[in-house]
Amino acid sequence: MSRAEAGAEPRPAGPATLRLLGSELGILFRRWRTWAMFGALAAVPVLIGLAVRFSGRPPSGRGPAFLNQVTENGLFVGVVALVVCTPLFLPLTVSVVSGDTIAGEASLGTLRYLLVAPAGRVRLLAVKYASTALFCVAAPLAVVLGGTATGLVLFPLGQATLLSGAVIGPGEAFGRLLLMAGYSAVSLLGLAAIGLFASTLTGVPVGAMAATAVLAVVSQILGALDQLEWLHPWLFTHHWLGLADFLREPVAWDSLGQNALLQAGYAAFFAALAYGRFTTKDILA
Amino acid sequence: MRGWRRWIPAAAVPAAIAVGLLAGGASAVVAPPPPATPEQVLALVAGNATRTDARQFSGTLEQRTDLGLPAIPAQTLGPGSGGPATGPEAAVLELLTVPHTARVYADGPEHVRVQVIDQLAERDLVRNGRDVWTYDSKANAVMHAVLPDRTLSHGSPGATAPAAPTASPDDLARRLLAAADPSTEVTLGAPVVVAGRSAYALVLTPRTAGTLVDRVQIAVDAASGMPLAVDVYAKGQAVAAFHAGFTSLSFGAPDPALFTLVPPPGATVTEKQIPADAVPPHAGTSPGDHPTPDVGHAPGWDAIAVIPADRVPPDVLASPLVQQLAVPAARGRLLSSSLVNILLADDGRVLVGAVPASALEAAAAR
Repeated sequence: MSRAEAGAEPRPAGPATLRLLGSELGILFRRWRTWAMFGALAAVPVLIGLAVRFSGRPPSGRGPAFLNQVTENGLFVGVVALVVCTPLFLPLTVSVVSGDTIAGEASLGTLRYLLVAPAGRVRLLAVKYASTALFCVAAPLAVVLGGTATGLVLFPLGQATLLSGAVIGPGEAFGRLLLMAGYSAVSLLGLAAIGLFASTLTGVPVGAMAATAVLAVVSQILGALDQLEWLHPWLFTHHWLGLADFLREPVAWDSLGQNALLQAGYAAFFAALAYGRFTTKDILA
Repeated sequence: MRGWRRWIPAAAVPAAIAVGLLAGGASAVVAPPPPATPEQVLALVAGNATRTDARQFSGTLEQRTDLGLPAIPAQTLGPGSGGPATGPEAAVLELLTVPHTARVYADGPEHVRVQVIDQLAERDLVRNGRDVWTYDSKANAVMHAVLPDRTLSHGSPGATAPAAPTASPDDLARRLLAAADPSTEVTLGAPVVVAGRSAYALVLTPRTAGTLVDRVQIAVDAASGMPLAVDVYAKGQAVAAFHAGFTSLSFGAPDPALFTLVPPPGATVTEKQIPADAVPPHAGTSPGDHPTPDVGHAPGWDAIAVIPADRVPPDVLASPLVQQLAVPAARGRLLSSSLVNILLADDGRVLVGAVPASALEAAAAR
């Protein structure tokens, strides 16, 4: 058990934490389930690309945003896929990973071994959140890279028309696509913290995953109700579709800043809650 | 057990956020210098209007309304949803009921770009000298028009200057000030902070009781004299019925490349002819059009505009949306809001005014 060994290392905090993080990442990214999720995410742009390629030109203004751009520039397959994945698929995968963090160990009975070291609980939480955050970066990247590959195979690599009507070349378009993936990653950090907290509440990982995914959906439903307009800026899903701001000329950076602040607030609050819960909890498993 | 101490961070984080918010809200904004009579503030505005260097800015504009109407996004209108197919009435209704954010870039009145920021979409309006373009990203459609010469050679940039076709507080304020005749009491309210800048608050109060307008408040930047925000309050309503104002603003010439628009590949381009004697296109169908264009030109606050039956576009009346919103009234059907009432009279005329419905009905009877 590499994990148990890493957790059992004595004090010297830095290297031990790094080793724990390394083993945690190794476990996460070697997991069959993680790669299945990456595969599913990357399959979304493939499906979109095939559908557009073999059904002819989509009517302008119908379907997901930017779909009518796909035939002119293959890179837009990635944009469409990212927009399509933002409301459900991406939060779902992050819910699975973050909900599994603590509850998964508890259900496997490995949590006790991880916590042998005295400073173990805080460090374990930090390491678990860090590895989930890395997954938040990787998941939108999977969508974008899947989209780029699909687009390059099925469509020409032409000029990209921005929302403002300006036209940019493929190189800059790819750069903006990566920025959008980064924006998505930032968007998911708050949800990852919520999942971490949910995971400390229960020993049943599926429960934590479901609760986190449901929260993401509920938040988006609240965001669609006009009567709750005062609440909207406080919802962690409020800026999720702001990723289109990278397709304006000039780029609207302020939504990225607001989003980052909001997600940092959510991350801090739910990480603190997770700390409160996890450090006072009796670990029986 | 010291268990409760572990929960301190969880309580501290919201507390820290609240403190941060309060501190941010109360952050040091210098109070405007004392010269505070309405005349001086008006002069400040006029001074700003004639100085070209003060008209170079980039900013973010927010517009929202609280007219007591349900929100009607353009997408929900009509079967051919989206795009310009839904026609001007949809665009106007959308502007009236849904809040908007727009980025505004200006280098004098002749180089202007307005970007209405929609979710996953954008509508642009560009003016570069006599050329005017609009771009709608959802429909990928470009409209191009050339303004008649007259609008360029206009001497006074005062009340009748060609206005940028948007609810820029700048233009709206100047129209309102031009109308400040004996019908209006102009006073100065407590200074306000708009877009992080301290501003004088000009308050225009109608002298007549026959209007739905309670007061109009214009925030004028203390440093530059530029109008930063306009709020129109309806009688008996605490929240502004109409608000347009900057949320951020910086002075200086924007990138000149912003003032050109080359139709992107695949876009449908329509050329619009504007006859030399026509009004500049801000009375028309452009998405950035502001909804109260006539306030400044009205002879009084309780004026009623009567559109003869043969000038009323038939498709507006037939639109299911209008049918649905209009309620039966004494002499026709009434579209009612907290600020403006519209009477679709039985004889086909349309009466519009910032007046109570009874006044419209009385006017229809005449």
